[in-house]
Amino acid sequence: MYGCVLKFLVMDRKKIQKEGLLEQYLLGELSAEENVLIEKILSSDSELKKQFELLETNFERMAFENAIEPSEAVKTRLINSLKSDDAPVITLPKDRGNTPYAKIRLLVAASLAALFAVSAFWFYSQWQTTEEMLQIVQKETVEIKNNLLKLEANFLTKDSLYTTLNNKDVIPLVLQGNKLLPEARAIAFVNHQNKTVVINPQSLPKLKDDETYQIWADVDGEMISMGLVPTDQELVALTYIDEAESFNITIEPEGGNNHPTVSRLISNVFL
Amino acid sequence: MNEVSPDIDIILQLQNGDKTALYALYDKYSGALYGVILRMCRDKEMAEDLLQETFLKIWKKIDQYDATKGKFYTWSYRIAKNTTLNALRKASPLIQNEDLGVYKNIAEEETFRDYSELNGVVKNLEPQHQKAIELVYFKGYTHREAHEIMGVPLGTFKSYVRQALLQIKNRYKEPTAIVWLCIEVFGNG
Repeated sequence: MYGCVLKFLVMDRKKIQKEGLLEQYLLGELSAEENVLIEKILSSDSELKKQFELLETNFERMAFENAIEPSEAVKTRLINSLKSDDAPVITLPKDRGNTPYAKIRLLVAASLAALFAVSAFWFYSQWQTTEEMLQIVQKETVEIKNNLLKLEANFLTKDSLYTTLNNKDVIPLVLQGNKLLPEARAIAFVNHQNKTVVINPQSLPKLKDDETYQIWADVDGEMISMGLVPTDQELVALTYIDEAESFNITIEPEGGNNHPTVSRLISNVFL
Repeated sequence: MNEVSPDIDIILQLQNGDKTALYALYDKYSGALYGVILRMCRDKEMAEDLLQETFLKIWKKIDQYDATKGKFYTWSYRIAKNTTLNALRKASPLIQNEDLGVYKNIAEEETFRDYSELNGVVKNLEPQHQKAIELVYFKGYTHREAHEIMGVPLGTFKSYVRQALLQIKNRYKEPTAIVWLCIEVFGNG
């Protein structure tokens, strides 16, 4: 900048002419500082000013000689665009917001806005965390409730069985395995008063997947099914058959059989 | 002395917000400005938009115009040129440095003959002088860009401009210039 000023201060008319600075000034090629300096020189040098005016005049004449008429539509568009500007415009005072007081107020407002933004974000984060924790707790509560219901149901079943087994009218009968399956053992609990039979199959050996134990009641030489005996349960409720003379356990195909397979009778007990 | 000052009243009206003054100036100067804009951007539709934009800027900035510093045409020419250069830069976003110019991707080619051909006194200048005037006055190049396009040193280019302007000045001074101009105009139809 300093160099530029110095350059122009020592600049005489000849140098301006030689450098073509008037032409460049005319064409708007110079920087703002250079423009100011050229304008200053022009205002004090009438000879140079005359040269510039002649330059301008010739420049304008050349422009007119090379004019190209635009279409009428451009003027119409210009008129229309200025018509749309006719709506009244309320101009705000220019110095608004520039006074020190206004600046301080603006700063305070900006600080408060920032503070509110930060605290709002913090509260939002807290709220989100609490919401997540609440959801976890709710989920756990539901699980606990379900477990409790299962335990209750289980307890009721066990309690019912215990009551059943502990009844004074219950007669336990041991079904011992025969030669076919000597290690087999099951205990049947019969209550003739309530007409119930349950069996503990825990000591029956595991069978193949396509086989099952089935228990039969012998009534006058006829074998009547009392039900299947899965070995994965502690106690299995069976159908009580009136006038049964004995209980008989056979090994049958999966799903049970209509008639006992006598060749696979593994245990029986007389009542 | 500035020989043409009939615009001064119209400009005062314009500075007082009179739109009819703007339309009067449009009628007078739109052709001259459009000639420059069109030669710069080489696109009729774009040039018309830019001419409209130029006059809207004149309308908004007329308070900044100072008649003691120069003619209205000079002032409006600068607005038209800058408006066009800005539009061309937007159209070529890769070109960032304004000193590099906006024409680097547009070869200075022989197309666009119908609009780029110059008339009047410039037409009768020697080829190098005509080219120098065309580049800086009608196509919006800076001196620094134009000398590269012509492939001559900057000093030589400035001499071309100076010599061209001198010839133009002398031709306009000649009393026969008007007759010659009339012949030229009527001759070209």
